[in-house]
Amino acid sequence: MLMILIPTLMLIPTAWASPLKWLWPTTLTHSLIIALASFTWFKAPSETGWHSINAYMALDPLSTPLLILTCWLTPLTILASQNHMSTEPAPRQRTYITLLISLQFFLILAFSATEIIMFYIMFEATLIPTLIIITRWGNQTERLNAGTYFLFYTLAGSLPLLVALLILQNNTGSLSLLILQYSDPLNLAPFTSKLWWAGCLMAFLVKMPLYGIHLWLPKAHVEAPIAGSMILAAVLLKLGGYGMMRITTMLDPLTKELSYPFIILALWGVIMTASICLRQTDLKSLIAYSSVSHMGLVIAAILTQTPWGFTGALILMIAHGLTSSALFCLANTNYERTHSRTMILTRGLQIALPLMTTWWFTASLANLALPPLPNLMGELTIITSLFGWSWWTLLLTGAGTLITANYSLHMFLMTQRGPLPHHITNLDPTHSREHLLMALHLLPLILLMLKPSLIWGWTA
Amino acid sequence: MSPFILSILLLGLGLGTTITFASSHWLLAWMGLENNTLAIIPLMAQHHHPRAAEATTKYFLTQATAAAMLLFATTSNAWLSGQWHILQMNHPLPTTLITLALALKIGLAPMHAWLPEVLQGLNLTTGLILSTWQKLAPFALLLQVQQTNPALTIMLGITSMLIGGWAGLNQTQLRKILAYSSIAHLGWMLIVIQFSPSLALLTLLLYFIMTSSAFLSFKLNNTTNINSLATSWAKMPTLTSLAPLILLSLAGLPPLTGFMPKWLIIQELTKQGLAPTATLAALSALLSLYFYLRLAYAMTLTISPNNLTGTTPWRLPSNQLTLPLAASVTATNFLLPLSPPILSLLTP
Amino acid sequence: MSCICFYLVLVVGLAAVASNPSPYYAALGLVMVAGVGCGVLVNYGGSFLSLVLFLIYLGGMLVVFAYSAALAAEPYPESWGSGPVMMYMVFYVLGVVMVSGMFWGEWYMVFWVPADEMGEFSMARGDVEGVALMYSFGGGMLLVGGWVLLLTLFVVLELVRGLGRGALRAV
Repeated sequence: MLMILIPTLMLIPTAWASPLKWLWPTTLTHSLIIALASFTWFKAPSETGWHSINAYMALDPLSTPLLILTCWLTPLTILASQNHMSTEPAPRQRTYITLLISLQFFLILAFSATEIIMFYIMFEATLIPTLIIITRWGNQTERLNAGTYFLFYTLAGSLPLLVALLILQNNTGSLSLLILQYSDPLNLAPFTSKLWWAGCLMAFLVKMPLYGIHLWLPKAHVEAPIAGSMILAAVLLKLGGYGMMRITTMLDPLTKELSYPFIILALWGVIMTASICLRQTDLKSLIAYSSVSHMGLVIAAILTQTPWGFTGALILMIAHGLTSSALFCLANTNYERTHSRTMILTRGLQIALPLMTTWWFTASLANLALPPLPNLMGELTIITSLFGWSWWTLLLTGAGTLITANYSLHMFLMTQRGPLPHHITNLDPTHSREHLLMALHLLPLILLMLKPSLIWGWTA
Repeated sequence: MSPFILSILLLGLGLGTTITFASSHWLLAWMGLENNTLAIIPLMAQHHHPRAAEATTKYFLTQATAAAMLLFATTSNAWLSGQWHILQMNHPLPTTLITLALALKIGLAPMHAWLPEVLQGLNLTTGLILSTWQKLAPFALLLQVQQTNPALTIMLGITSMLIGGWAGLNQTQLRKILAYSSIAHLGWMLIVIQFSPSLALLTLLLYFIMTSSAFLSFKLNNTTNINSLATSWAKMPTLTSLAPLILLSLAGLPPLTGFMPKWLIIQELTKQGLAPTATLAALSALLSLYFYLRLAYAMTLTISPNNLTGTTPWRLPSNQLTLPLAASVTATNFLLPLSPPILSLLTP
Repeated sequence: MSCICFYLVLVVGLAAVASNPSPYYAALGLVMVAGVGCGVLVNYGGSFLSLVLFLIYLGGMLVVFAYSAALAAEPYPESWGSGPVMMYMVFYVLGVVMVSGMFWGEWYMVFWVPADEMGEFSMARGDVEGVALMYSFGGGMLLVGGWVLLLTLFVVLELVRGLGRGALRAV
């Protein structure tokens, strides 16, 4: 663990000590080396599932893919931010990189913590850097509103979680993930235990987000700078899914009945948010709502509590992490050239930026879950597990898949095809930095097709 | 103010608190409190501004009322139980009266109304003394009184938290905001004071550290309202970038120091079977968070436009002492990983 | 009977001060309360204490009365007859009546037993330790008391010092 954690901390001196000219290349190289080193975690020799154990941290097949995704995303955020940060004064650039690094640090600690309280603290700790990234480097004044929504939705969900966790600790005496699933179920009055169940899950449902408590997410995504959107879509939402998977093992007898309304709401949310995407004019908002839609599937899958559901949820989380981050990067390359997120103003880009269209095409296909991609593996597994839970869910999941395909194609056609409007004829050509960025997003996605067992989680 | 008089007054402040700390006898404790009140009054009124005089008068009246109530309660305690020991209170009536009197002295809701008004009339240094040192002596007494009615302190605590958060929402004056923040934090202490006095003490000490950072950084910036906070990026860039962390630490967000007392208090409350109270307390922190967040927005997360000459005050060297601020800011932000040793230091 | 009369006047006098009339009248209420308070004490047998208190009050009240008459003389003083003051007065008296109605009866007999009345049960007697502190720690108390007096002197001097105009409001 320290092999990754200490180099991550040492990124901060790198960011502050390197000369301004080499600031972005050195931090990028350094963080990319960390990301490459983190691949060693895939090699898990232990039979119990837990490996690389130290006093506070350990890895298992569930957390490993998410950890590697975290490490992989940091160099990509640095790469993506380079252009729009280049006009700022040097200390602000360094502070920005420091915030990204601290986010990686907290996320590693969150995903690898063996104590739930430690996970909770790190889960909350990610709020502060994200808040600062959104509200300090966002573009419009609405970013303050978005920051407030982000902070208050998350905290209102997670403060009851703290109380619920401490109740659990008072009853079991330990909150260690390694042994908690073997402890006796909690002895509470029926009504109290239902409240406790809701308290345990609500924080993660807000973070995911569940349809109905998702309003913070499109705001935060739209207002955040590119690195904020990327890390939010790719990793921070997955904190919610990870937390749900960890905590449901302790909620055992209750989840069977209590999860009904939440599964239905999540699936209903898939359709609703996908339909919202269909009539969206704002590119970033569209991608954000598409995240909500995909996360609805993940919530429903986790709440069915079947091995297939968990596997599908994890696969979809990883695949969606890479895909949505790629889409945000593409949206940002448009935004940096046209300074508009409105799709009606940035049409027909295939003529201006032909190679970029390839990336758009691949990313859109990934978003609509084209057959060999891990996105499809995740969705199929989830749909199967939900079908096993109740046949009727097929109506919702099937319609959801259909609408997802629709809006993905709509997004692609809207931005790439058709005539190029006259007001955007003199665009910058694409940079190789941007192609590298897209390649680093989509290559792992394509390579994961070859060995999906890496991200299968516990069933592997 | 002449340095001799200042030193006498500061000696009075120190001696008053020390007498209260050292006494086991109510009469002596009361003398210490009165000593304390008297000594700070010239400090409060030293600028002879009408607002300062008003604040001083209000402070004197409330403190005198509280002290008279305390004296009345202790005499009736002596009358009813025949002794004056602080630690041996067992009659419900004087205990309740004493608790209320001390709550008035430190400004707990619903006896809080004087605190924002008084703090608004003072300069930031005296305000810092008022919201830290002046709370010590009454709080020490509050810790020693054996509560007979468990609902009393919990009600005081919850009310203070809610009112401290709620009433701070529409303030634009920093000193009033800090006053409401003080009310809310004292609520956190009161809610746990009868279950774990050492935890209440820990919360008080951490609150002192955090509020010192806030007061000192506002003092360094020379600001007293949100509007003038907006230009602080041009005065103290480093401090400005640290300010959101100070404010969020006051709000109690992990991984900053301010989360430690909240975490431990919620743990203690759930241990006592008061989970709904704990949840209410935790959610009331969101109210306070809102105004801290607004301060952070105004100070750091937005940059107010300024003319060219207005952007360079940071070049002028400041002759204010910044070492205490540096120390307290560090402690405000990074003490959470040290919570086990700190806790074991204070737990008997 | 006289006891009840004293109490009645005490309560009405307190309400009279608290109902915020002109200082002139408030001082009158204060004098009334002070005098009647000493009367209550006499009823409980504290004749010497009440005499001393009455003399001190008399001196103090005279000063207060003279000052409020001289400094705060208003052309149209508000007595208890005028609207808002009357409202407060009625409010306070009603409040006292309601609260005493609530507690009417033998509510305090359960636990309201002064220590002196249990002389045969316990060693402790009322005020024993309070006085004992004065005797056993007399020198220290004298020092502390003297220090507080000195501090008060400084405080008062510091507060009223101000550009020769000698008042709090002098800037």
